[in-house]
Amino acid sequence: MAIDNVIPASCSARIRWWAAPSPILLWFLALGAAWLLLYVFYAETITILINWLPLLGRGLLMNVLISVLAMAIGTVLGLVVGALELSPLGWVQSPARGYVQIFRNAPLLVLIFFTTYVFPFEVKIAGQYLPFPDWFKATIGLALPASAHIAEIFRGAVQSIPTPQWEASSSLAFTRSQTLRWIILPQCVKRALPPWMNLYAMITMSTTLASLVGVTELLEAAKNASNTVNRTDFTILVYLSVLSLFFVYCYPITRLTRRLEKRFAYH
Amino acid sequence: MPTTETLSLNHDADVLVALKNVHLSFGDNKVLKGVDLRVRRGDAVSIIGPSGSGKSTLLRCINGLLRPERGEIRVGETAVHRLQSESELIALRKRIGFVFQQYNLFPHLSVLENILIAPTRILGKDRGETEREARELLARVCLEHKADAYPGQLSGGQQQRVAIARALAMHPELVLFDEVTSALDPETVGEVLAVIRELVKDGLTCILVTHEMRFAEEVSHEIVFTEGGEIVEQGIPAQIFHNPVNARTRSFINALAG
Amino acid sequence: MLEKFLHGFVAAAKIIGLNYSFLLSDYERIPWLSGIGITILLALCSILGSLLVGVVLAALLASRQAWLRGPARGLIELLRNTPTLVQLYCAFFVLNMLLNQVLGGAEHNPLTPFHWVVLVLSLHYGAYHAEALRAGIEAVPATTREAALSLGFSRVELLRHVELPLALRFSLPALTSNLINLVKSTALGAAIAVGELTYASLMIWVQRDNVLELMIFIFLIYAVLTYVVARLGRALENYLRMPGYGH
Repeated sequence: MAIDNVIPASCSARIRWWAAPSPILLWFLALGAAWLLLYVFYAETITILINWLPLLGRGLLMNVLISVLAMAIGTVLGLVVGALELSPLGWVQSPARGYVQIFRNAPLLVLIFFTTYVFPFEVKIAGQYLPFPDWFKATIGLALPASAHIAEIFRGAVQSIPTPQWEASSSLAFTRSQTLRWIILPQCVKRALPPWMNLYAMITMSTTLASLVGVTELLEAAKNASNTVNRTDFTILVYLSVLSLFFVYCYPITRLTRRLEKRFAYH
Repeated sequence: MPTTETLSLNHDADVLVALKNVHLSFGDNKVLKGVDLRVRRGDAVSIIGPSGSGKSTLLRCINGLLRPERGEIRVGETAVHRLQSESELIALRKRIGFVFQQYNLFPHLSVLENILIAPTRILGKDRGETEREARELLARVCLEHKADAYPGQLSGGQQQRVAIARALAMHPELVLFDEVTSALDPETVGEVLAVIRELVKDGLTCILVTHEMRFAEEVSHEIVFTEGGEIVEQGIPAQIFHNPVNARTRSFINALAG
Repeated sequence: MLEKFLHGFVAAAKIIGLNYSFLLSDYERIPWLSGIGITILLALCSILGSLLVGVVLAALLASRQAWLRGPARGLIELLRNTPTLVQLYCAFFVLNMLLNQVLGGAEHNPLTPFHWVVLVLSLHYGAYHAEALRAGIEAVPATTREAALSLGFSRVELLRHVELPLALRFSLPALTSNLINLVKSTALGAAIAVGELTYASLMIWVQRDNVLELMIFIFLIYAVLTYVVARLGRALENYLRMPGYGH
């Protein structure tokens, strides 16, 4: 780092020694220590928590399910919208731009309310009534903004490829779609991966919003547990556990994203 | 200019590229102001002149990357200025190689794949046969040992030689070289020029935009001096470099010599 | 006059099948309109709070003292990698509960749900600001820093007069985009019954079943608010532009 230039060598060496344990390690150590302390002093509270674990675990699975599904739908939809945005035809481009603007600028919670209250609770497909459960509506509510973000990521990645690549492909007699498929897209994947992972972490964290429309995911399960048990120490424990769980899930994703970003920055 | 007339009239049948009164402007900036040029099959023609005189633009008009506003461009039987559809332009570009100042290799593909992608994907050729040929081309530009390297791992001169091999893999009738040594370190310029020299000797039709005057004089059959979007003078190298008729050509050549 | 306009609007909306009749009832219109006001107030307070937190955290990150940098980095990572809603619950259901117990009952607690939302949003987005400012500080050329140090600037003076002003310019686009996200996040207030726009609308549509009608309004209002923030950010960027750099 540049600061090293102006700090005496001995001093910067000391800083490095202090900075050596990575923050992730420190956090995990702190978490472990906290749990140990809790177990020693609050064995009873821990026992209650263990009784609630199956329910909390099922809640967490719901968060994972919603986030994975929302990203899958969002990615497919986003690639389509992004491709439309890149079209040279105005009447194709403007509706795609509008879609992205609307779903990127609306609050996620409002979108989840929107899909929950506007969509019917069952849909009729080929004479069969298929249930349209709340958790799936919430998934759609997250997939819509995810797709808008992915469209932007995709468009940004395509436009970040220098124009001479288009020119070079052109003079080798590639068509526009051949250039996109073989030359531009393969180069995009590398650039789009870090923001895509960032978005995944963001969507994962946003799955907690589903609790506000009655989906029993982790946070809702924790709230139920806290209200049922109705003990101060348990309430503290259960909410801090939820906080820790999300941190343990999302922080590694963020770290990996940052590492990828740095690596790609040099190439 | 009598020299131009005699040159083109004498070899009309052999003409591969013919430009007639080509005009092009970007906004208010008139880049080409009525260019006439003929290039015979098997010839190497070098276009020289100060920066901004429309040299690179001219090349991009020949392979249809840019469309002139007025005038005619013919490559063989094809009237380039009349081509409308993408498929017609693609058919033209299959016949014309283009080598860029900034190489423009595909950074995500290995050297070998860079050369193979157009013949296999665009011309639909058999991969085995093409790969053998690609390796021969790499040997010709002295890079057979770099087949599996990526563009980012090569020096500028090496990248440019790969770019030349990539263009040749399409078996072009004509190759356009756009200031291909301008972005290179002085040490690597020689290796690229050596490759081009061989190609010219083998009878490949080339149009070169270049600042390497000594090289242009040595390899070219004809030199074209452009300034301000017009061809000021053209003729055999000995005439342009040692006995220019036009005063502007003379001052340009003298400035370089001095 | 207003009465007439409202009646006209509601009647016109009815023609295209939209039910806006809640606007004619004082009991519904007034809380709903005040919801808009609360959203704006919530956004303003949180914007100021988050900027304050952001500058403080960024200064801590730029510190030479490891015991300042370490905790700041840890706090930022925790705030950025956990859901805002979970943070809000930890604040409101845990901290607020503890505070109630310490003060001997909720009636002695001066903090309202509104305050907790402002606090959580300020901390959450402050962490994002700090990260943006840190990147901006790192973008300050080493030569500029050396020049300042060789002119005799202290670390704090360097930060105040050189690094932060430059970092602010470099990170302004990122800060603006954080603030836009902050404005959108004020909707979270609904989770703990702060009567802001989303909550006020929720109260109406559970009675009248006119979700779509209210959604149109909500989308429009948030669009206007985020647009205003984006424009202000752009204007500030222009105002702070350094001649000869960029664009």
